[in-house]
Amino acid sequence: MEIPSIIRSIEASGVGEWFRTSVKAMPVVESIHVFTAAVVFGTILIVDLRLLGFPNTRRSFTRISDELTRFTWGAFLISAVTGALMFAPNASTYYGNTAFRIKMLALLLAGVNMAVFELVTKRGVARWDKDAATAPAARFAGAASILIWAFVIFVARWIGFTKGYNYEIPPDLDLNLQFPAQ
Amino acid sequence: MREFAEWLQATPVSVTVQSITWIIPLLQSIHILMIGVVFVSSLMITLRVLGRVRAEEPFAVVWNRFAPWMWGGLVVMALTGLTLIVAEPVREFGAVSFWVKMSLIAICVISIAIFGRTLRPDAAGAEFSTGRKAAAVATVVLWLAIIFLGRAIAYDGAVWSLQA
Repeated sequence: MEIPSIIRSIEASGVGEWFRTSVKAMPVVESIHVFTAAVVFGTILIVDLRLLGFPNTRRSFTRISDELTRFTWGAFLISAVTGALMFAPNASTYYGNTAFRIKMLALLLAGVNMAVFELVTKRGVARWDKDAATAPAARFAGAASILIWAFVIFVARWIGFTKGYNYEIPPDLDLNLQFPAQ
Repeated sequence: MREFAEWLQATPVSVTVQSITWIIPLLQSIHILMIGVVFVSSLMITLRVLGRVRAEEPFAVVWNRFAPWMWGGLVVMALTGLTLIVAEPVREFGAVSFWVKMSLIAICVISIAIFGRTLRPDAAGAEFSTGRKAAAVATVVLWLAIIFLGRAIAYDGAVWSLQA
C-alpha cells in the first residue's frame, strides 16, 4: 500500500470522524499533548544537565537516570498517543506540512541520539557515574539531547501556525491585495 | 476592559509583535519549555515531600536544587506571558480561561513561597506531616490546572460551552 492511500484511510477512520465532530476533543487532547511534551523536556533536561556535570557530579548519574526515566517514558507515551489522535482526523494536512515532517525527523534524531547513548556510551558508565567528569561522548549526548528536544518543541509550535497553508498560488492569478489579512 | 484591550492591540508594540510572523510562536515555545522546567522542578520537590524521590537527601538539598529553577522559569514565563498578552489582549482578556489561570497562578505562587519559607530543613529520612504532604500535592494539581487553562485560552468558547 502506498503512503497517500494509508493517509486517506487514517483520515477516514472512526477515530478521525469522532475527533472532527467533537467540540472538546481538540482542546483537551492538545492540552494533554503540550503538557506531556513539556514534562518529557523537563525530565530529560535534569538527566542531560547531570551528563554535562551540572550542578555537580556528586550524585550518581545512574540514580538520577533511573529515578526520572519512568516519568520521561510515561509522558512520551501519552504525548505519542495524543499526537496520533490529533494526526488521525487531519492526516493529509499534517502529512503535507513541512514543519510536521521536520518534527518527525527531529524526533527520529532524538531517538538515535538516545539509542547510541544507551547502547554504546553507557557501557563505560562505572568510570564516570559519580564524583568524576563525564565521558566526552556522554556530554555530547546530553548537549545534543537538550538542543534536539528544544528544537522539537519550537518546530511543533510552528505546525500550528502553518498547517493547511502549504498551497501554491497560481502565477497568473489576479489577487486584489488592497485588503490585508486580518 | 474591552476598550482597553482594543486600545492595547492597536499600540505600536502590539502591532509589531503581531505582524512579525515568528515572534508569537517563538514566545509560546519558550513558554512551553519553561512549563517543563517549572512543573518538573515543582514535582520533584513535592515527590521529595512525599518521600518518593531522593529520600536519602535532606529536604533542604532537594529544595535548593530545584527551587531556583522553578522561580527562574516562572520569571521567564512572566516575561514571555506578558509579551503574549500585549500581542493579543482582546483574545486574552475575553477568555474565561485566562482570568481563572491568572487567579490560580497568584494562589499557587504565594502558596509555594509560604511553603518554602516555613519548612524547616529536616534531616534525611524525617517525615512530613499529612497536612504538608497534602499541600505539596495541591501545588502540583494547581500547576496542572494552570497549564490546561493556558492552552484552553485558544479554545475558550469551545472549552466552556456545554457541547461535547
